[in-house]
Amino acid sequence: MSDAAVTSLDMKPSRRAVLAGTGALVLTVGATGLAGIARSDPATNDVAPNIWVRISVDGTVTVVFPATEMGQGSSTSLPLILAEEMDADWDRVRVEQLDRDDRAYGNPIFGNVLYTAGSTAVAAYFTPLRLAGAQARQVLIRAAAKRWGVAPDSLKTEPGVVINPANGKRLGYGEIAALPDVPTDVPEVTEADLKPRSAYRLIGKDIPRRDAPAKSRGTETYVIDVRVPNMAYASVLRAPVEGETPQSIDEAAARAISGVLDVVRLPDGVAVVAERLETAFAARDALSVTWSERAPARKFDNEADLEAYAQAVARPQDKPAEWRAEGDAENALANGGRVIEAEYRSDYAYHAQLEPMAAVASVTDQGAEVWAGTQTQSWTTRTITDVLGIPADKVRVHMMTMGGGFGRRTALMQEYVRDALLSSRAVGRPVKVVWTREDDLRHGWFRPASVQLMSAAMTNDGTLEAWRHRVATPSVIKYFNPLRWSQVAPKDIVSMRGSESKHYKIPHFLAEHVITERRARIIPWRGIGAAYTSFAAEAFMDELASAAGEDPIAFRLKLLADNPRGARLLERVSEMAGWGRKPSETALGVAFAGYGNTMAAGIAEVAVDRETSQIRVPRFWAAIDGGLVIAPRNAEAQIEGGIVFGLSSTLKERVTIRDGEVEQSNFHDYEILRADEVPEIEIAFEVSDAPPSGMGEAGTPMVAAAVANGFHALTGRRLRHMPFTPERVLAALA
Amino acid sequence: MTTLRINGEAVAVAADPATPLLWVLREHLGLTGTKFGCGAGLCGACTVHVDGEAVFSCLTAVGDVEGDVTTIEGLSRDGDHPLQRAWIAEEVPQCGYCQSGQIMRAAALLAANPNPRRDEIAAEMSQNLCRCGTYNRIFKAVARAAKEA
Repeated sequence: MSDAAVTSLDMKPSRRAVLAGTGALVLTVGATGLAGIARSDPATNDVAPNIWVRISVDGTVTVVFPATEMGQGSSTSLPLILAEEMDADWDRVRVEQLDRDDRAYGNPIFGNVLYTAGSTAVAAYFTPLRLAGAQARQVLIRAAAKRWGVAPDSLKTEPGVVINPANGKRLGYGEIAALPDVPTDVPEVTEADLKPRSAYRLIGKDIPRRDAPAKSRGTETYVIDVRVPNMAYASVLRAPVEGETPQSIDEAAARAISGVLDVVRLPDGVAVVAERLETAFAARDALSVTWSERAPARKFDNEADLEAYAQAVARPQDKPAEWRAEGDAENALANGGRVIEAEYRSDYAYHAQLEPMAAVASVTDQGAEVWAGTQTQSWTTRTITDVLGIPADKVRVHMMTMGGGFGRRTALMQEYVRDALLSSRAVGRPVKVVWTREDDLRHGWFRPASVQLMSAAMTNDGTLEAWRHRVATPSVIKYFNPLRWSQVAPKDIVSMRGSESKHYKIPHFLAEHVITERRARIIPWRGIGAAYTSFAAEAFMDELASAAGEDPIAFRLKLLADNPRGARLLERVSEMAGWGRKPSETALGVAFAGYGNTMAAGIAEVAVDRETSQIRVPRFWAAIDGGLVIAPRNAEAQIEGGIVFGLSSTLKERVTIRDGEVEQSNFHDYEILRADEVPEIEIAFEVSDAPPSGMGEAGTPMVAAAVANGFHALTGRRLRHMPFTPERVLAALA
Repeated sequence: MTTLRINGEAVAVAADPATPLLWVLREHLGLTGTKFGCGAGLCGACTVHVDGEAVFSCLTAVGDVEGDVTTIEGLSRDGDHPLQRAWIAEEVPQCGYCQSGQIMRAAALLAANPNPRRDEIAAEMSQNLCRCGTYNRIFKAVARAAKEA
């Protein structure tokens, strides 16, 4: 692909003459629209109608995949969208991972940063990829029309071929690419040229994920699997507390181990580089390091810090940052009829992506080659250029499939990549850094803890008049991406998402952020803010329904009078679960949440073991409206995975911090949901006319409230602090 | 020098006998289908077979291995073990990182119990973690493979 392809990001389509010659054509279709023309490498014979797609003379269609793959399935879904509009033969489509920070391919939802997060990939690229596909199809049609001497309008396409219906003549896309005189003007396409949904051959059909075979055969390559010639290995002993540095390093014992190449001082740790991975681990254990031990983070303590957040939420020192407001909630609460308040809490949570952090770097005088598994080509490239002080054109990055992401691999500065770079530079060889699970957990970046104060005013007839959702939690963006914070402050979508409760109509509404001090490393986590704000909002909604003496679904439906899509989901899930039956050994709890524009209604069946105080969720039902569904089976898998993730967080997951150190270290003390604890899950999609709005996180936010509400239906008690550990269940039942 | 029998072939390995089999497979021999997840026998990503029994290769010292080792690469000749076919048909993998271990665990289960009940599948498979939450599809795929094998 041509580097000259990057021109501008004009919103308007443009049409320009292309250079004459035999080389392939490249037209930029930036993520925001169509832009200019350049000429690709004349050495290839591919026809490249735009930056997204190339057609080879053998009929192969290569589509650029601008996101990264962490299990969400976008590496199938995004190329599929382009192939649909192009009428490409899906079996001949090859997917090419975008391996560099080229903002022409950027995610428009994130200001064209190459960034795969927030369930945005399909939503963000849906229109640009359709336009690119439609444009490629037009280029092929025009070439065939010229060849046959007929009008382009008279031709049609079927997968991989242009057809003249008048005489039945056919030209395969590869044959067209081989024509000597492919027209050089590039057609303008607009959304009006795109297929109606009824014409889709690929979108909405059960096209299998491309990566399932390799992932079922052990042949998928993750960064931790990368092996390059002459590669050494590094393990890093990190400072036990954030902000501390190595003061003195006794490395004699480590260096005495055969196969140790070097001991490298890092800003916040010490790397041991060795010929073998097992040697690097052993030598790192043989290090004796004195740490500075004076970092302010020594005072981090999850329990004391949560109490401080509770004080802040009750009596904010400064005016909270407004997140969403309608009407005048403060006034309505001050003068309202019946005011109800409740405080909800949530603890730190860890991603527990199954592939521990790893990176491979080869640093030479000429530049750097890096293999990384991250959610952003942009920030990985930036990490490399910042650490080494070299320009981006000296950097070659390989974006690898990730063994889970869930937000962990999104930061502006990626310390695992940095450590591979510094280690490689020190020894002059390629180096693979591998974190142990203990490294990954103790030095994790977490979902922040929160304390949330919910306040509502209801009229005497049970009508909800005013709602205030006040969230005391740090700004996640300020820490994990200060560059972005400078653009969005004080509105932090990562900390606050979900608290906008935008799918309900509430006359006086206020969601506000008490931005507390950061007391741990924090970063997006599946569902971002909604993972805890939807817990508070939807559990509180249940409390209001109780206070009004109404059925929880009926109470919510009154607030959804202007949202028939949302109402339909609650009705549907109510039918699925047989809502309304009397509690017996189990009871049902409902929640209505989702993520962004994707709405989700869920019902949990809840049981409590009175001996162990453990909650069990034998069944879960969900109804989802995420607009158009690109890949139904994968969408179902994403929602189901999101529910399992949410249930795991609801029942089990909790990071504790004492004297600045994370107390958990592996899956024995940070447990996640196992196979014998997973509910039977039934999912229904309501496919509305809305554009696709994302599936990766929509299953998670509803779960905690549904479980808490089911627990209340069963026991009459409220659970207001997530996770619902046996100790907390016992306390609630006391 | 330790000699192992891996996927039907004799292999000489120059590793300290205390080295976990996992690192020998992955980094000495390049059999990277077997994954590292926890190093403590808690997640099952490293599951391989020794004489047909599922073991955690992260906890197995290479010097202690006496039987035939089978990894995901050697489970079937063309990647078409009934479980692998079922995994593809049920579209089980998301990130895929745990799936080699899941398949090896399931293969040992089916060898010992060709028609497991759902609760037996859940009990056995609960030794392996999947953070993407594919457990229900794993159950379906194991049941499908049992039926079609």
